[in-house]
Amino acid sequence: MSSIGGVPFYILEFGDELVYFTPYTITLFLLALVFTVLVILSRPERQVDIAFGGDAYTTKQISVDEMRFRRFMSIACGLASMGAMVTGDIFNFTLFTAMVGITNVGIVAAVKSPHVQNAAYQYGLVALSATVPLFGAAAVYAASTGSLSMIELARGTLPAVPIIAKALLVIGVIGEGMAPFYAAKAEMFRAPGAPYVIMCSLSSLVIFLRVVEVVMLG
Amino acid sequence: MWGEYSIGLLLVLVSGVIGFVALAIETDDLHRLLLLDLVEISSLGIIALLGTDLAEALVLPGLTVGIAELLALSQIYITKERLKDKPVKGLNIEVIRKADAPVVISAFLVVYGLILSGFTGGGVAGLGLVFFFMSRGYQEDLNMLEMASGISWAIWIFAFFVFMFLPQYWFVALMCAAVGIVLKVTVKMSLVGTMWGEHRE
Repeated sequence: MSSIGGVPFYILEFGDELVYFTPYTITLFLLALVFTVLVILSRPERQVDIAFGGDAYTTKQISVDEMRFRRFMSIACGLASMGAMVTGDIFNFTLFTAMVGITNVGIVAAVKSPHVQNAAYQYGLVALSATVPLFGAAAVYAASTGSLSMIELARGTLPAVPIIAKALLVIGVIGEGMAPFYAAKAEMFRAPGAPYVIMCSLSSLVIFLRVVEVVMLG
Repeated sequence: MWGEYSIGLLLVLVSGVIGFVALAIETDDLHRLLLLDLVEISSLGIIALLGTDLAEALVLPGLTVGIAELLALSQIYITKERLKDKPVKGLNIEVIRKADAPVVISAFLVVYGLILSGFTGGGVAGLGLVFFFMSRGYQEDLNMLEMASGISWAIWIFAFFVFMFLPQYWFVALMCAAVGIVLKVTVKMSLVGTMWGEHRE
């Protein structure tokens, strides 16, 4: 099998479901893994507001409950990203991407601040609507090639995947896994608590890098 | 040439488009949530069109994910509607208002940033805007900025799309990406520049 990701080191098969590691995906997997470990170990930063024209500043308090919830969501987000990196099945990939979308909303929505909540809500609407092209793409993949396995698609013996399916997949991933397709992502990022919010960005990065590989298959 | 699958797919896609149009027109948050549920059905329709056992196996996780997201969003909606009247003290900011100097300096920075272009240019131009907002207070309507941020992001995404699917037009895509990122960074910096506390809505 020759693909953008290189020759797989290892293929783990559970019947139809399969997991494989290529040099490309294992790099992304390790990145997500390391970051998840960092999220587990680190303590949240406290956002500082500085008053302009004076030397006054305030730090925001983060309650333990909120911290726990956001840490949980960040870990879930890391696990979903790792799953999306190693899965060898198009539909599982879309499911993991959808999970990344939910957990990204969750990381931000735990903050008890109206404008952050509002931003998270609007982003959630986008994420929810992005499941339509995402799952639609997986279904068109299955309908046109008869297989959802990335290994089979990469082998090149199946019918070519229609460009519309690939386009839908990319649109779905952009809407779902990539938080920024929403006008005011900066608004979301006013949420205090550094390591957790960065998980949103990291998952977007690895998901996007993986979808490039997936689109290249078949 | 038009098999049953194609006709079915066309119908589902048309209904999906109708749903999305309704979503774009609707402004009430709760109504949008309900419409989204409707739009979601069309994705299940596309999966169901496979018409095999596999479709059945795929509809279930699709439905589960959709419901999970719907639940999460309605929870956020509840929280966000209840938190409306939480008094938070603003910060005192002492700057010269209505003076000319900040306008001149920020205009210079913005123009220089636009000439630099790219990520650095966005940073410089954003700094100019940050300075402007600092000196003017923060009563400006941020909706325009947020819209510009969204549009620039869309340009950026479009450029990536061209890179991936029409690589022969890479130059156009490169230009689009450059313009998109300069706008994006500028707007993001200026949004950050206006964050002083929780009191703005």
